[in-house]
Amino acid sequence: MATTSTTPTPLPLPSSSISTPAQSSTTQSSTFTFPTYTHFPPLYTVQPNLQTRARQLDLWSSLILSYTAHHHIFRLSLSTPPADLFTNPPRTRTLKPSDIRIVLDHMALQTPSRIEWLPPSTKGEKMGNTCWVYWKTLAEWADVLYGWVEETGQKGAVLTVYELREGDAVMGREWVGMDEGMLRKVLGVLVKRGKAQVFGQQEGEGVKFF
Amino acid sequence: MFLRQLELTTALRPYIDDDGGEALLFIANGVGLYDGKFKLPNYQKGHLYLTSHRVCYVDDEEPRKYSVAVDLKEIERTEFYAGFLKSSAKITLFPKPSKRNLQGIRSPIPQYAYPSDALVDASATSSRSLGRSPAPARNLNATWACGIKPSLALMIKAAVSAMSTRPAASTNTSSQRNSTVSSDLDSCDTQSSALASRQTVVACPRCTFQNDASLPNCEICGASLQNSYASQLVQRPESPGPTLSGSIIGNDTIETIKFSFRAGGEKTFLERLKGALVQRKWLLQSAPPVPKPARSATLSNGSPWQVPDTTRTDTPYQRVVGIAGLERRGAELRENNKAVIGTAFEDLEALMTSAKEVIAMAEQFSRQTNSGTNSESSEAKALLSDSASALGLVATKDMLGTGSASETLYSTELARNLAEFLTDDRRGILRKEGGIMSLVDLWAVFNRTRNGIELISPLDFEKAATMWESLQLPIRLRRFRSGLLVVQEKSRTDDKTIASLLNWLREPQYAFPPSKDDLRSQSFGRGVTAQETAERFGWSVGVATEELEMAEENSALCRDQCLDGIRFWENHFMHAFDELTEPRAQLDAVQMMDELRF
Repeated sequence: MATTSTTPTPLPLPSSSISTPAQSSTTQSSTFTFPTYTHFPPLYTVQPNLQTRARQLDLWSSLILSYTAHHHIFRLSLSTPPADLFTNPPRTRTLKPSDIRIVLDHMALQTPSRIEWLPPSTKGEKMGNTCWVYWKTLAEWADVLYGWVEETGQKGAVLTVYELREGDAVMGREWVGMDEGMLRKVLGVLVKRGKAQVFGQQEGEGVKFF
Repeated sequence: MFLRQLELTTALRPYIDDDGGEALLFIANGVGLYDGKFKLPNYQKGHLYLTSHRVCYVDDEEPRKYSVAVDLKEIERTEFYAGFLKSSAKITLFPKPSKRNLQGIRSPIPQYAYPSDALVDASATSSRSLGRSPAPARNLNATWACGIKPSLALMIKAAVSAMSTRPAASTNTSSQRNSTVSSDLDSCDTQSSALASRQTVVACPRCTFQNDASLPNCEICGASLQNSYASQLVQRPESPGPTLSGSIIGNDTIETIKFSFRAGGEKTFLERLKGALVQRKWLLQSAPPVPKPARSATLSNGSPWQVPDTTRTDTPYQRVVGIAGLERRGAELRENNKAVIGTAFEDLEALMTSAKEVIAMAEQFSRQTNSGTNSESSEAKALLSDSASALGLVATKDMLGTGSASETLYSTELARNLAEFLTDDRRGILRKEGGIMSLVDLWAVFNRTRNGIELISPLDFEKAATMWESLQLPIRLRRFRSGLLVVQEKSRTDDKTIASLLNWLREPQYAFPPSKDDLRSQSFGRGVTAQETAERFGWSVGVATEELEMAEENSALCRDQCLDGIRFWENHFMHAFDELTEPRAQLDAVQMMDELRF
C-alpha cells in the first residue's frame, strides 16, 4: 500500500468559505458561500455513531444558522425548505425531511436554543412543521434592538410594534421581516431586564424604552 | 542423556517431524514427572504426548521452559503401577544401558543399602528442618518418619562417616555423585554452626520468652513450643513425596523416569507405548534404504517398507562367488522379503506406516484427474492433497482416553491443532484470506483436509475455537456485533485494521478512478463500499462490512448513504472544520481526536 504519510492530512479549507452574519445586511445580494464540509457526502447521512453524529449535528446547526443569517430567514418550514440548504452543491445528496427534523430538534435542545418549533397550524398534527430560527439568540436580538434605540435617541419614547417591524425608521435593520411573535419575545427579554415596557392591546400596542 | 529439551510449535505442542515418519499416538493431561522416587519440581502438571518416536512432556504453566522428551529408542522396559487410594497410576520407563555410562547396568535398587545412610539420613533430615535447601536429600534419601532431632556433633559425625564410607562402599556410583554429596555436606558443615546459633533459641508464641530450641514447652508460661516450631519450619509439599531440585535436562544421574497420571489415561497410554516400542518406527528414520531385489523395482524409492538390515550393517559384506554366492544371495533375498512383509503386515498399525506412500499415490492420481478442469478450485484441491501430511498430526478422539476429562482434553488439543493449522506457513490459510476468515469457512476447510476421516462436529469446533484465548495461542476468535464469528491472528487488533483502512482511504487521489462526484468532495478522500474493501483486502464481503462498521463505531469512519448503497469515508467530522464551531466544541473535538489517535 503506497501511502504518503500516516498522519491525518489536514484538509485545505478556504478561509473565505463562510460569511459572517454581521456582514449580512450589506452583502445581502451576494450569494451564500457554502462551507467546505457541504462537499463531504457523509454529511447528508445521519451517522449511527453517536459521537460522530453529535459533531455532524453541530456542523449542520452552524450551517443552518449562517445560511439563514445570510438570507435573513426567520422562519423555516419543513414542507418548503430552502432549495439549496439541504442539498449538496453538485446535487447528488439531500438530507431527508425526517433527518432535517433530527437536525432541527438537536438545535432546539441546544443552550441557548437556536430554533423554536411553532405549534401546528392544523389541529390534527402532533408536531409543528415550522420553526423560528434564532441565528441571533433572543438575548442578542434584545441587545441589537436596545442598541438601535440608544443610537437613535429614542429612550423614553413610545413606539408601536408595527413601527419597530416595518416603520421607515428601521429600514435596512437586521430584524426587518421578523415575525411579530418573535419580536414580542425579544421585547419580553427587554421587559425582563427592565429596559422596556409593553402596554396597550393587540393593534395599538406600544413599547416604551427606558 | 536420557531427557532432552523439546522443540515446540506455535500452539505449544511438541514439534512432530512427520517427514521422519513420526506420528502422534496418544495425549494425556494432568501428568507429573518423577525421577525414581523423587518428584521433579516444575514438571508436575502438564500434557504428555506419545508419538511413535518419543514421549514428550509439555508443562502447562511454562511450556517453553519445562518441556522434555524421552526417545523411545532409549527405553529398555516399562513398569506399570496401577495406583492405590490417593496415589495415582504411574508408568516407569527404564533406559537402556548406555555405552559410556555403565551405571545404567545396575538395576535401580534402593539407595539405602549402607548402614551409614541411616546416619546421613538423620543429618539430611535435620539440615532440611533447619530450612535449608533439600538438595542433598536426593542422594541422602531423606525420610520423614525419623523425627528425632540429632545434635550438631552427631550430624557432623554422620557427615564425616558418610564421606569416608561412601566412596568405598558405593563403587557403582559415579564420582560426580560423590562430589555432590561431599559438597553438600561441606556446605552443611560450614553453615551449620551459624544456623545452630540462630536456631538454638525459639521465641514462645505466647510470652515471647526466648526458649532453647530443644524444649518442648516454654520455661515461663508452659505453652507448647512444638506446634509453632514445626509449622514454622516444616512445610510439607502438596503431595507427600520428596522433590528434587536442579535442572534435569541432560542430567546423567537421572536413572528412571516415572509418569504419574493424575487425570487418568494411563491404561491406553501403556498400551500404545508398548505398541510403539514393539514397532520401533524410529528405525525407519535413520535406516539406510533396503537393498531391493530387482523384481521389486516397481516400488518407488524411499518406500516405507524399509527395515534395518542389521546383519548387513554389522558384518562387512563378504564377496562370495560361484554357486555358494548365488545360494547366499537367494537366502538374503528371502530373508529381506520376509522382513519387509513381516513389518508391513505385522498388524494394522504397521500398515499405517505405509499410508504415507498410499496417500502420495492418491495425490498423484488426483492431480492427474484435475489437470483438465478449471484452475479455480486448484487451490482448494492442493490444500486437500496437502492434507496427507496432516493425517498423522491431528489429535483424534481415539487418541485420548475415555471419560469426561478427555472431552475437555479433546477440545484443547483440537484448539492447538487448529492454531497449528492456521499458522502453518506452508498452507498460509489465514494469509490467503487476508488475515481473517469466518469460523464457518475455517470449519469447512479444516474438515476437508481431514479427507473424510475423523470429521469435526460444528459443536466441537466452536468449543475448541473458544479455547484459543485461554490457551494463549496466537489465534483469536472474534465476535462481531452481528454475531458473526471470525478467526484472526492475535496480533491483528482493531487498531491495526483501522489504520490500514485509513491508509488506504488516504491514498493519493490519482490511484482511484475518477468518480462522478465533484472535485471538491475528492479532497475528502474517497468513499468505499464493502464490496471494494473486500476486494482490496481479500476479505469476504461479510467480514468487510463488519470491519467497516467496527471502524465506524470507533469514529474512524463515517457512512454516506446514497443511491448505490452505503459508502464509508474517513471521518472528517471529527477533526476537520474546527474553525466553524465554538471553542468548547473545538476542545471536545481535540479530546476526541486524542482518544482516536492510535
